[in-house]
Amino acid sequence: MEQSVDSIEVPLSSFRPRTGTMEAWNAAYVRVEDYLRAHRIHNRLHQSRIIQLVLERAARRHEADPSLEPTTLAAQEMDALMDEWFAQVIGANSEVTKDRVAIAGRVALLLSEGPQKWPFSFMDPANVPDDFRKAMQTSSMVAGPNMNVSSMVPREIDLGALSEAAGETLERFEKWPLLRTLALWLVFTGTLAAIFYYTR
Amino acid sequence: MRVTATEWLSPRQLSRRRRTFFSGVFFLTSLAVWFMADLMWRNGMAATDWAPLVLFTILFAQIAVGFMTAVIGFFMLNRGGDRKRIEVTLPPGEDLPLASTAIIMPVFNEDVSRVFEGLRVIYRSVQETKKLEHFDFFILSDSNQPNQWIQEEVAWVELCKQVGGFGRIFYRKRRQQINKKAGNVADFLRRWGKSYRYMVVLDADSIMTGEALVKLVSLMEKNPTTGIIQTAPRLVNGETLYARLQQFANRLYSPIFLAGLNYWQQDEGNYWGHNAIIRVQPFIEHCALPDLPGSEPFGGPILSHDFVEAALMRRAGWAVWLATDIEGTYEEGPPTLIDSAKRDRRWCQGNMQHSWLLLAKGFRPTSRFHLLMGVFAYVSSPLWLLFLMLSTLQAFSLARQPDNPLRSEAFTSLFGYQIEVPEAFTLFVLTMLMLFTPKLMALVRTWQDKDAAEQFGGRSRLLLSALLEMITSALLAPINMLFNSKFVVYTLLGHGVSWVTQRRDAGDEADWREAILTHWPHTLFGAVWAASSYILVPSFFWWASPVMAGMILSIPISIFLSNNSFGRRALGVGLFVTPEESRPPYELRRLTQNLAECYKHLQPLEPLRTDYGLLQAVVDPYVNAVHVSLLRQRKPSEESRDYFHSLRLRLLRDGPSSITVKEKMALLLDAESMIWLHEELWRSPSHALAEWWRLAVRQYNVLTAAPITALYR
Repeated sequence: MEQSVDSIEVPLSSFRPRTGTMEAWNAAYVRVEDYLRAHRIHNRLHQSRIIQLVLERAARRHEADPSLEPTTLAAQEMDALMDEWFAQVIGANSEVTKDRVAIAGRVALLLSEGPQKWPFSFMDPANVPDDFRKAMQTSSMVAGPNMNVSSMVPREIDLGALSEAAGETLERFEKWPLLRTLALWLVFTGTLAAIFYYTR
Repeated sequence: MRVTATEWLSPRQLSRRRRTFFSGVFFLTSLAVWFMADLMWRNGMAATDWAPLVLFTILFAQIAVGFMTAVIGFFMLNRGGDRKRIEVTLPPGEDLPLASTAIIMPVFNEDVSRVFEGLRVIYRSVQETKKLEHFDFFILSDSNQPNQWIQEEVAWVELCKQVGGFGRIFYRKRRQQINKKAGNVADFLRRWGKSYRYMVVLDADSIMTGEALVKLVSLMEKNPTTGIIQTAPRLVNGETLYARLQQFANRLYSPIFLAGLNYWQQDEGNYWGHNAIIRVQPFIEHCALPDLPGSEPFGGPILSHDFVEAALMRRAGWAVWLATDIEGTYEEGPPTLIDSAKRDRRWCQGNMQHSWLLLAKGFRPTSRFHLLMGVFAYVSSPLWLLFLMLSTLQAFSLARQPDNPLRSEAFTSLFGYQIEVPEAFTLFVLTMLMLFTPKLMALVRTWQDKDAAEQFGGRSRLLLSALLEMITSALLAPINMLFNSKFVVYTLLGHGVSWVTQRRDAGDEADWREAILTHWPHTLFGAVWAASSYILVPSFFWWASPVMAGMILSIPISIFLSNNSFGRRALGVGLFVTPEESRPPYELRRLTQNLAECYKHLQPLEPLRTDYGLLQAVVDPYVNAVHVSLLRQRKPSEESRDYFHSLRLRLLRDGPSSITVKEKMALLLDAESMIWLHEELWRSPSHALAEWWRLAVRQYNVLTAAPITALYR
């Protein structure tokens, strides 16, 4: 009983944005929450810790320039924090350029199933278990094996005199639409004549 | 250089087999032509009588080829099977070391769940053989729809994660879909072909068991002069009555035809484009396809590549075998008559192109025969139609003559002896015998074996099913004849065929609109033909009534056969049951269960459904990352940067309906755009986004609460 009284006496975090409307900050909150959920971070406690950290940083920037949207600032801070965290976790991988660190990090997170297996470690720089770090660093997505290029060139095919002649005629027909139409009409009238002769 | 083995049959033995086969075809055709000519000759052979006689000869020869194949197959099977089969080179239990094999599955806008669940089943089955290390799996995508593409990527990642398949299951999407499936396979061979000794080509709806795959590789290893081994896939998983009828017929009748084909083909078989193993190196060297003279539809790139590839392989001296009794190789058929016709439309154009190659230098005579049969599979339809029309006109003109020669005294005569059977009737019986005897032989063969009959639902049901199948196929034949005639004529004229857009969400309800709009010309044709015949020559009307009935009833037949619930009911009462249904193999059971799970997934909201792939690629951080990682990095020009910038802004501000599919594909191909879109979407305040995106963000988290997967319908 005494313990719970003690815990009530612990003050809540004093963070609150000094600039911007409550509506705008609520929208920013929802956006960060949605983004975390899109990363499959479903642990509410962990979500709220990250959201607070992100909003605090966004609020500081908003104080400096209130013309910016809190949602935009929060998303930017979220990205920056995430980039930092990914760079720290996946290490100095020379293949990953700075602008692609988030891409590589997310792929590693997906493949290692980080949010499911280590639900409290996402974006917590001080608390990344070794096995999680190793899983992130070793995960790789190979879409294709190393190329082993060979040339596959069609060989000339001799269609035989008849087919060649027919082919040449066809190509000539294609070049001369008038000739094609004429031939079609010739076939058509010929068929009609044959039917007439046959049924008369 | 001829490198095929000669230990199989000596050239003399092989030519004896072929002589037997083709002599049979010649004899039967001659007999029928004799009857026909004799019938026509009674009133003097007019110049105009020659046309139907020539047509009859060509068409009857084609029937005789089928009949002889079945008769010889029946004979061989009753003798305990042909000893000259590729399978017998591998004694049971012999465990050969295998070689590197790529299992490739070219896909083009297919049902993603079906493709990847099929691959999962194949992968697991190979894993169970404990020989997985010899096999690599490739999904070779040519899909050009954003949804399909993104779903394929996500499904690939999920599958690899779930089965530990990274580094063994690969995914490749082509930027440019050049030369369709043949180009897709050729692209694979250029990139990776050298790394593999064999490749097994699968269709998107193919299933092959691990055991079958291992056996195929072993057979190739055992027969180093063999270039292609084609298996005989069984049709499975049919739900509609049409699909179930097709798979029943395929399962019951095909063994005798396959045995007959193997008898005379031997190492000069054919390739059907899938469920076959191919030796990669000679394929790369000899089977690249040249363009044909002229442009499409007749010329240009070869559309139906498989027959030509087999002919080129044979030309280079490599053996092409048909493995008639390898178990564990399956495919799915079209669910409806109209779907089947759509497939035939594509095949028709491809097969007609083969006319160019009939006289190509260096081809083996057997390859020419395969190509010719392919051409005739379609060209015979307009010829039959022409024959029927000429016969009708002749009957009409004879009926008008005062001395009506269509009389019963036109008896059969044989070597001068008059037999008191109307000659037309004899000819009719002969034709019917040729058409139905193969089916009856197959039926008798299965019926005799109690266990085999049990697998088809028991003797009485087998009998009833076969009877119903024969009636239905007789009714379907004239409809297919009209379909194919139209395809041939349209191809010759260089036109495409337009189709009605099908309602896919109709479930068990019949799509009357599609059936009526597709089949009304058939009905009209049949009705006019029937009415005029009945008025002018009633006796002719009764002779031709089975053909006319199919045409007149095409709409209800098409509707009836396309219905899922009728298919289920038939299965419920044990009709058209196949061994794969009565004793389903493990792999097919797994596939059915997995797909049922996939299709239980919640579908996206209706307004989001059309562009759900694009939505995922932009909204979902993981899908976006996977997608961008799979794109090749390119430095765009200033001009293209401006183009993409305006496109991106339009997409976010006005929603996906504001840009075309082509523009969506362009954005999806541009890594920089995809990164920008993802960041910008999440950074933009709601009021700066289109309503569609606002809804997407709100709904997306509900749908992705479960582990990420695109495997829903």
